[in-house]
Parts: sequence; C-alpha cells; structure tokens
Amino acid sequence: MPFFIHILFVISNWIPSMLSHNVIFGKGKIFHFGPMGVAIISSYGIVITLKSTGSFALAFLVGLVCALLISAVFAWLSVKLEPDALGVITLAMHIAILNIAINWTSLTRGALGIPGVPRLSFFSSNTTLSITMAVVAVLWIIFMLYLDRSSFGRQISALAEHEWYAKSIGISKIKINLIAFFIYALGMTIVAFFSMQYLTILHPNDFMFPAFIFYITCELAGKPGSVLGVTLAIVLLTILKEGLRFMPIPTGLTGPLELIIFGVILFVAVWWRRDSVFPNTRSV
Amino acid sequence: MPILSTNSLSLEINGQQILKEVSFSIEKGEIVGLIGPNGSGKTTLFNVLSGFLKHTDGKIDFEETDISEVSAPKRAQMGIGRVFQNFGIFREMTLEENVLVALESLPKEKRGEINNLKEKTKETLEFIGLANRAKEKASSLSGGQMRLLEIGRTLASGKELFLLDEPTAGVSPKMTNDVSSLIRELKDDGKTVMIIEHDLPFIAQICDRVFVLDVGSIVLEGDPQSVQHDVRLKEIYFGADPTN
Repeated sequence: MPFFIHILFVISNWIPSMLSHNVIFGKGKIFHFGPMGVAIISSYGIVITLKSTGSFALAFLVGLVCALLISAVFAWLSVKLEPDALGVITLAMHIAILNIAINWTSLTRGALGIPGVPRLSFFSSNTTLSITMAVVAVLWIIFMLYLDRSSFGRQISALAEHEWYAKSIGISKIKINLIAFFIYALGMTIVAFFSMQYLTILHPNDFMFPAFIFYITCELAGKPGSVLGVTLAIVLLTILKEGLRFMPIPTGLTGPLELIIFGVILFVAVWWRRDSVFPNTRSV
Repeated sequence: MPILSTNSLSLEINGQQILKEVSFSIEKGEIVGLIGPNGSGKTTLFNVLSGFLKHTDGKIDFEETDISEVSAPKRAQMGIGRVFQNFGIFREMTLEENVLVALESLPKEKRGEINNLKEKTKETLEFIGLANRAKEKASSLSGGQMRLLEIGRTLASGKELFLLDEPTAGVSPKMTNDVSSLIRELKDDGKTVMIIEHDLPFIAQICDRVFVLDVGSIVLEGDPQSVQHDVRLKEIYFGADPTN
C-alpha cells in the first residue's frame, strides 16, 4: 500500500509542472529547456521562507513570486532569441541557477540540502498528502484541457505554426509567451509546495539534468501539446521509473540503468515525432 | 484624406539599400497595384508597411498617425491586414479556428463590436463559400480556397487596409475570378487595397492606380492603362533596347 500511495503522489506531483511545460514546449514549440531552473528558485523560495517564518501561505507566495520573476526572464528571452539559441541559453541558465543553489551555502546549505521541511498539520500522513495532490492534479488536467480549447490555446498554436502570420492578425508574442511562462510558474510552485512537504527535505540533486530529461521524455512520448497524451505518458513512465527501484538490480546500477532506458525512450520519441517537434520554417 | 502615406521610406540591410526614399499616398477606398521585376523590393515594402521590418529612414502614416515605431501586431490591431504570398493561414487548424483566432486577437473594443464571435465566424465562412468545410483542417484546402479563407478572415476582423501579396499566385484560373470578385467586394465595402501582382491584365482590370517599383524606388505611377503602355515599363522588365 505505501508503494501505491507513493506512486500516486509522484504521478500527481509531476502533472501540474509537466503539463504546464507542455504548453510552452509542446503546444508553443518554444525551446524552454530550463524548467528545472524555475523549480530550483521556487522550491528554495518556499523552503527558506517556511523554515524562517513558519507561514505556509507566505512560503507559497514567496515561491510563486520567485517563479514568476524567473519565468518573466525566460519569457523575455523566448521573444528575443531564435529557438536554437533559446534552447542553449535556457539550459545554461538551469545549470547556472543550480550552481548558485549549491554554492551559496550560507543560504542554501549547498550540497547538504535543507532537511526538516515542516508539513501542514492536515498532511500528517502520506495518504492525505497524496490524495490531496491527486485532486490538485485532476483539477490541473481540467484547467489544461480548458486552456487547450481557449482563445489562448489557439493563439499560442498560431504563433507556433507561423510567427509572422500570427502577428499579422494581431497576436502579441510577448503577451502570449508571458501567459504561458506564468502558467508554468504557477504549476511549478504548486508542485514545489507539495513535494517539499512530502519529501521533508530540499536537495539540489533533485534538480539535476535527469529530472529535465524525464520532462522532455514524457512530453515527446505523449505527443507534444496533447494534454491527455502527456498525462498518460507521465503515468506509464513514472510507474516504469519508480518500478525500477524495486527490481532486483544492484543499487549502484539502478541510476545508470534508468538513464539509459530513458535516454533510449527519448531517442525513439524524438525520432518518431521528428516532423512535429520542431517549429515549421516556412518563408513568407 | 490618405489612409496610408509614406515619406522618403528607406531600408538598408547589411549595407545594401533595399528601399530608396519611397514616397506615396493612398486614398481611402482605392485599389492600388504594386508591380515591378523580381527583387525590386515589393514584398520588402509590404514587410515594412506591416511592421515586420523596421525601416532605416523616413516615415509611415496610417489614418494620419505615425506608425513608424508601432509593432506588427499593433498595426494589425489598428486595421492593417496582410495577405501573404505563401498563404498565411494556419494549416494545422480548422477553417473555423482560422477565422476565430483572428477575431479573438482583435483589441477589446473592436471585439466588443462583434456580438458573437462564433456566429461571425460562421457568417464569414458562408460568405467565402466554405461553411460546409468549417471543421476540416485548412491544409485540406486548394490554393484558391486558402486564399479566399485568408482574405475572408482579414475582412471579418474589420481591417481597413489590405496588403495583398500576389493574391492569384498558386490559384487556378477559375478561382482567380473568385479572388478578384472578393477584392472588388472589398472596394464596394469602402476598404483600401494595395496589391502586388505579376499578372498585368489582372492589375489593369482591378486597380485604380499602379506604382512600378524598380531597385527599391517608385519609378512609374499612374492609371493602369497609361502605365501598361509606358515604354519605360518594358525597359524595367526587359532592359533598354540597344537598337533605340
């Protein structure tokens, strides 16, 4: 039973952030490869505030503001840079933010992480926390489906298909990209708020490159831009990922094996979706 | 009152002068043709007018407002509609979504004038004769139908000035008549149209005035008949006759 509760939490916890990143990367075809950068800033914002003030509401607010600020920077870059340059810069920003988190030891305790993250009294058991997270995830899926069919969904799709054609009908790239990045900031803050309480420790290892690889793998395997497809991919790939921990494999091999398996899945997914992953380049 | 005027509009890219002091004005309700050999700067001029390229010198006025510093989406919202040579529709969207997304992108006050966006979308598709294909992807349309959809969508979103870049390119002869009828209807509605075309008989048939662009400058201007018979037009397209 604890395993299923754990799986339920992990799946539900991936959903808000990954579906939100899917709006940017999958639907908008914006090469934002720095979602983990937002996750780091939001998570540290939440935990440091929580540990120093004890206020959950304030911690959530600080986490959200931090995520919105860094997302505004990413959104600005997405308007100013070509897709390939944006991909490289956002990856670099992820690494830079991670390095700051690891090296600013007086604030973050560096590689030791921050243990003893308190929980809301309502979340005294993992079961309550997992069920609450699952409810939030379902609500987030409904919100994403609504967005997909909304005016915003059509406008971001139009920009993804041809930027000039979209601008010629009055669509503002900066406005649409800001909305998309802010939705991600909100989704990521919700995820960070719950996951920090579930894990009760904030550790920089959780924001390394493999976490980002898992994001991209789920989005590509589930069909970029598809809410239900990516949700299904999150469910199946999380079961595979977590299930590996319980296979009779020597402990030291689990990590590398996981990376190899997800690397292969990512390769196959990119190959399979090669015509739809990258933005169209049509002349005017 | 001119709806659009330019004053000494110039564009330089990488040291190369693409547009040289282009000055003209277009009255409201006129249909003006823009012709010239390949590479003369016609599409570039449209890109500058619609805000996709920033001119290096000069001024553009739209409805007596200087729009030189206004972004492309803002110009579209002010009422400048662009129809692209390669069909500026969203092929992955349905016909209905193509019209709807244009209506939804209007500024609030203009959107407020349309009571029901879905109803307006339906009316637009009926007007261009594609209502029965509303739910199909735009990629399934023929070239002529794509053009009708693009012009219809621009019309539905209440644009005042239409910049049409080769509207008959890639369109069958039968559909060319439909496109030219639609352009005439724009004129009847009091809209202003500027057309880039290589098809001179089409231009002569539909335009009130013609500008001839060569190496980035307007070198000829007048009514279609006089421009068509001007000996300089032949020189621009084929070079000066050495025997003369």
